[in-house]
Amino acid sequence: MYAVAMSDAIAGPVAGADDASTLLTRIAEIRDKDALAALFRLYGPRIKSMMLKLGADNALAEDLTQETLLTVWRKAHLYTPERGAPSTWMFTIARNLRIDHIRRQSNQPYADIEGLEIASESDSSHMQAERRQVVERVSEALETLSPEQREVVHLSFVQDIAHAEIAERLGIPLGTVKSRLRLAYERLRPVLGDLR
Amino acid sequence: MSITHHLDASTLMAFAAGTLDEAYALVVSTHLAVCPQCRAEVDDMSAIGGALLESETAAPVSDGALDRLLAAADQAPEDELAQPPAPQDLRVPAPLARHVPQGLDKVAWRFRGPGVSTAELPLGPNAKSRLVLLKVAGGRRVPEHGHGGQEITLILQGAYTDRFGRFGIGDVADLDEDVEHQPVAEPGEACICLVALDSRLTFRGRLMNVIQPLIGL
Repeated sequence: MYAVAMSDAIAGPVAGADDASTLLTRIAEIRDKDALAALFRLYGPRIKSMMLKLGADNALAEDLTQETLLTVWRKAHLYTPERGAPSTWMFTIARNLRIDHIRRQSNQPYADIEGLEIASESDSSHMQAERRQVVERVSEALETLSPEQREVVHLSFVQDIAHAEIAERLGIPLGTVKSRLRLAYERLRPVLGDLR
Repeated sequence: MSITHHLDASTLMAFAAGTLDEAYALVVSTHLAVCPQCRAEVDDMSAIGGALLESETAAPVSDGALDRLLAAADQAPEDELAQPPAPQDLRVPAPLARHVPQGLDKVAWRFRGPGVSTAELPLGPNAKSRLVLLKVAGGRRVPEHGHGGQEITLILQGAYTDRFGRFGIGDVADLDEDVEHQPVAEPGEACICLVALDSRLTFRGRLMNVIQPLIGL
C-alpha cells in the first residue's frame, strides 16, 4: 500500500516517511525552500485530495493545502518525532486548519494543546528510523479491521461525519457506532502503541 | 492531580478525526491539557489520519500552486513557540483560559436554584453544542437527570459523587444520552464543572422541562 502511495507522487525523487523527516529537519534548521518544495510535491496533492473528500470545493481545497504547507514551513521547528510520523503531524495541521475554517470566528480549541510537550522531549535519531515503517504498519492494521469497523473509522477520519450522523446514515444505533470505534481502537492499539 | 475518570475511546477517536462540535472539542482539549494518558491516546489515534493521508491518492494541484507557496514562504516568519499567557486562575487550564479570561470568580454566574448557578460561555456562530459552567454548592444534590445527547463534564474545582464514583479535579464524565445520574457535590467548597452538551436538544420531555429551568441545563 505504501509503495503504491509513493508512486503517486508527482515529481522528484522517490521519498518515504523517513525522507519527510529529513525534509522537515532541513526546513527547521536551514530554512531550505527546496525541502519545502519537495514536501509540497509529496504531500500537497494528497492533502488536497483529502480536503476534496471532506467536502471542500476545488478552490478551498487548494487554499487549505497551501495553508497547511505554509504552517509546516513556519512550525517545522516545533515538530517532534515523539508525537508521530511527519504525515501524522501534517494530518493534524490540515485537520485544525479545516476546523478553523469551518468555525471561522471560533476560539480554536484545537490549537491550544499544540506544543504542550514540545519542550519536554528531545529528538532521537533511532526513533526517527523506527518511524519509517509506522505509517505502513498502521495502514496494514487498518486492513485487518472488520468491514464494519473500517467503515466507521473511514467515515470519521476521511469524511468528517459526526457519530450521530454516521448512525443515521448506516441505520444503526449511536451506541453501535461508538462500540465499533472502540473495537477498532482496541484492534489498532498494539500498533499505535508502538509508535511511542 | 490524580485523574481516575477518562474520556471514552470513541470520543477521543472523534477528537482525533476532527468531528467533535466546538463545545465538546473544547472540553476534550481542556481535559487533554491536564491528562497525559488521554493526550498520548489522541496522539496514537492521529496516526490513523497520518496513515490515511499517506495512502490518499493525489489530486492535481493548480499550475502556480508551488510558486505561490514559495512566494508566501518568503513572507512568513518562523513561528515563535507560543508562550502560554500567564495563568489568571490556576483552576482554568490553558485551552479554557480565553473563554474565562477573568477567572472563575468573575464569571457572570446566574442563580438557578438553591446552591446551583450556571454561566453560558460564548462559542462560534456555527456551534451546534453549548458550553456551560455549572457550580454546585458543597453538599448539594443536582436533580436526577438524563441527557438528551452526549454530555461531557470536566471538574475544575471541588468534587462530586454519583453512581459512577467520585469525580475530582481533572476527571471527566463522558456520558451517553441514555445515562441517568444524580451527582452530589462533596461537602466543603463548591463543585465547579465545565459541561459540553448538545444545543439542539434543549428540551427533553416534560420532566426536563421542569428540571432544566432549575439547573439551567
